[in-house]
Amino acid sequence: MSKLCFHCLEPIPKGFNESVIIDDVSQPMCCIGCQAVAQNIVTQGMTDYYKYRTVTAGKVEQLVPEQLQFIKSYDNEDIQDEFIATNQGISEVLLSVEGITCAACAWLIEKQLLSLNSVKRVDVNTSTNRAMIQWDKHTTPLSEIITALAQIGYKAYPFQSDIEAQQKQHVAKAYIRRLGVAGLMTMQVMMFAFAMYFGMFSGMESNFEQYFRWISLALATPVVLYSALPFLTNAINGLKSKQLNMDLPVSLAIFGAYSASCYATFMQVGEVYFESVCMFTFLLLLGKYLEFRARLKASEFTANLQKLLPLTARTLNEQGVEQIIAAKKLKLNDIVLIKAGETIPADGELIAGNTTVDESMMTGEHQPVNKHIGQNVYAGCVNHDGVITIQINKIGQNTLLNQIIRLQHNALTKRPKLVEITDKVAQWFVAALLIFASLTAIGWYQLDPEHAFWITISVLVATCPCALSLAIPTALTCAVATLTQKGILIKQAHVLETLPKLTLFAFDKTGTLTQGKFSLDAVDVIHSDYSKEQVLTIAAQLERYSEHPIATAFLKYDDSLTQVNDVKVHPGQGISAFIAGTHYAIGKSGWFDSEKSNAQASLYANKQLIARFYFKDNIKPDAANLIASLQKQNLSCHMLTGDASDAGARVAKQLQLNSQRSACSPQDKQRAVEQWASQQHIVAMIGDGVNDSPVFASAHLSIAMETGADISKNAADVLLLNSDLASIDHLLKVAKQTQRIIKQNLALSLLYNGSILPLAALGLVAPWMAVIGMSASSIIVICNSLRLLKL
Amino acid sequence: MSIIYVLIPIAILFVLIAIGVFFWAVKSEQFSDLNKQGHSILFEDDKEQHKNSND
Repeated sequence: MSKLCFHCLEPIPKGFNESVIIDDVSQPMCCIGCQAVAQNIVTQGMTDYYKYRTVTAGKVEQLVPEQLQFIKSYDNEDIQDEFIATNQGISEVLLSVEGITCAACAWLIEKQLLSLNSVKRVDVNTSTNRAMIQWDKHTTPLSEIITALAQIGYKAYPFQSDIEAQQKQHVAKAYIRRLGVAGLMTMQVMMFAFAMYFGMFSGMESNFEQYFRWISLALATPVVLYSALPFLTNAINGLKSKQLNMDLPVSLAIFGAYSASCYATFMQVGEVYFESVCMFTFLLLLGKYLEFRARLKASEFTANLQKLLPLTARTLNEQGVEQIIAAKKLKLNDIVLIKAGETIPADGELIAGNTTVDESMMTGEHQPVNKHIGQNVYAGCVNHDGVITIQINKIGQNTLLNQIIRLQHNALTKRPKLVEITDKVAQWFVAALLIFASLTAIGWYQLDPEHAFWITISVLVATCPCALSLAIPTALTCAVATLTQKGILIKQAHVLETLPKLTLFAFDKTGTLTQGKFSLDAVDVIHSDYSKEQVLTIAAQLERYSEHPIATAFLKYDDSLTQVNDVKVHPGQGISAFIAGTHYAIGKSGWFDSEKSNAQASLYANKQLIARFYFKDNIKPDAANLIASLQKQNLSCHMLTGDASDAGARVAKQLQLNSQRSACSPQDKQRAVEQWASQQHIVAMIGDGVNDSPVFASAHLSIAMETGADISKNAADVLLLNSDLASIDHLLKVAKQTQRIIKQNLALSLLYNGSILPLAALGLVAPWMAVIGMSASSIIVICNSLRLLKL
Repeated sequence: MSIIYVLIPIAILFVLIAIGVFFWAVKSEQFSDLNKQGHSILFEDDKEQHKNSND
């Protein structure tokens, strides 16, 4: 095992001796999958990929005929309606592509697809892992495109973007355009402003000065009327709902200074502030855009999710003939065949076969549930080992899955909200500013009507809340950037403000506090001919062929490539095979009429019991530290689990949680959190399953694990990419530090505004002093925020 | 010095063209993925297609 596969850089197993000639050098490969892909890349003349890739490719799995069949089902017209848009003979589809790791992947995919004749345009986005493809549907079916991607080692499936995501994309583009205009124009205006600054000292012909003013006016106009428009609309929206928000003083400053400068230009009097207006707009937009982009990235990351329900279903008609139809066309009482490993398309009653079903999405528990004839199975659950036939008894909105989703949506509308600090500060600041400015105007009008207008404007400019409006967005942007680097994605704007206020943490058990997977606890060797190591190796070789979650516990004992023959899966029982001529079987206890025990798996040689295995779900190593650290900060920790066994109580005792509730349905969890909220607790919910998604919407703050179900990742405010509980501690630390920095920033900027205000009101501040003061205070605030990047 | 009365408007015209190009670039998704565009220059587009070199 000294060599590594050239394609995926994984060790090459013994006995595999294939290679591919890449750029005239023979390179070793680790498996047939990688070999086929590398060969394809070479044949297409795309070896540049290996030269410039910065991240290695994933190990390639070969497509089996079953999968090809499944890919073919994407050609079904009924299904295509959902994700293909056709315009003048050109179809457009968005594919989620698994395995895109760097720019070289994007190039490889674009090159591969463009070599298909009917493909007109391919655009791969490496940050969202999606590819937009425009092609002629009638000459090349979609399945051919997906197969072409599989040939170079990428798994793709159609992506259906929701309206919310599309709107966000539009907002992002509008931001970039506004930013571009503001940036380009600010540079120009600045240039003329500098000419005028020097003109002030060394003298300048008045017709040139006037000319420069007109030019600046023309250049600043698009910045104010286009780039700064969102501030104005936000401020007006705020006023309409009778609220003074932060955008109000911002728009007052921008539009006030702009109108005053226009007036000065037309009347050839006073001073112009075009450069300050442009720069201010640009900096504010930049801060807002960066923060928006960080959140957009986080939400795009979770939007790339496979559907919970399959697109197709296999129905059986009266003659028992199989037919693949679009899953949304299923009707009540249809008979549906579900093979092992497939997802159940609708709720139904089992009428033939028996199997075990993974219902973890309902209960959060990964232990498969046995299903016999007459029992109900639920849409979205995965059929483990048997082939079953079900009769549909609930479809569409009535399925259990959709009920859970509805629960979440309902809760979202009632979600408790905390008043944001920004708005509080803005309200009294705006009020004070407006009162002060009008007092100045009235006061000076009595004394010196000539100068009243200019002094009022200089009050507005001097107190221009540059620093104040940068205080919060810069701090948030820096905090979000730090957290993203640590694998903590913030999806909602309120997260950093809510975090320091939390008083109560609620955890899910399986997958959150515990590993969520089985690990070997004890091995009981019954037969004296076998050693513990031998037993484990045999079990591992058998379990390689099993889909059962317990199988993963044996993976690390599988070390050799012994020939395993005649593998048979016995639904509901276990798995059997011949190894070196001996018949081995692993499965539930009591198989082959052996003595029953409470072991979760038993190993049989020639139908004789030889060993018993016991498993447990380990508590995550950093769970205890996190709980202790949270409790030290006077935050109480609770557990809400769907598990009905006594495992919950055991975990709670071991971690010294404040309370625990077992056998919670999604509604129970929601009720528990709502009850806490009504007792004035600010609640954070940490979980990973589909059954946690409704409670996510009820809690003030929700945190999901990367290993969790897609729907929960989508619903959560925060996503922990490394599923590491220690991240929560870090998150809390950064949030508190951010809160401190925001307070410092606010104090600094208010100090500046407060001290310059009386001077401006007395008419003592020259425009250049105001500009320097404004820039200096903004820079101090930005530098203070940058400290967050070092956390 | 009166030449600036002509030169500055011409300079502004260039700025307007730049903004036009920028808007076009935004529209054609060139800013949607900033990682990819930086690398695209490295790849040769028309490297000759190798014959099946493993035979």
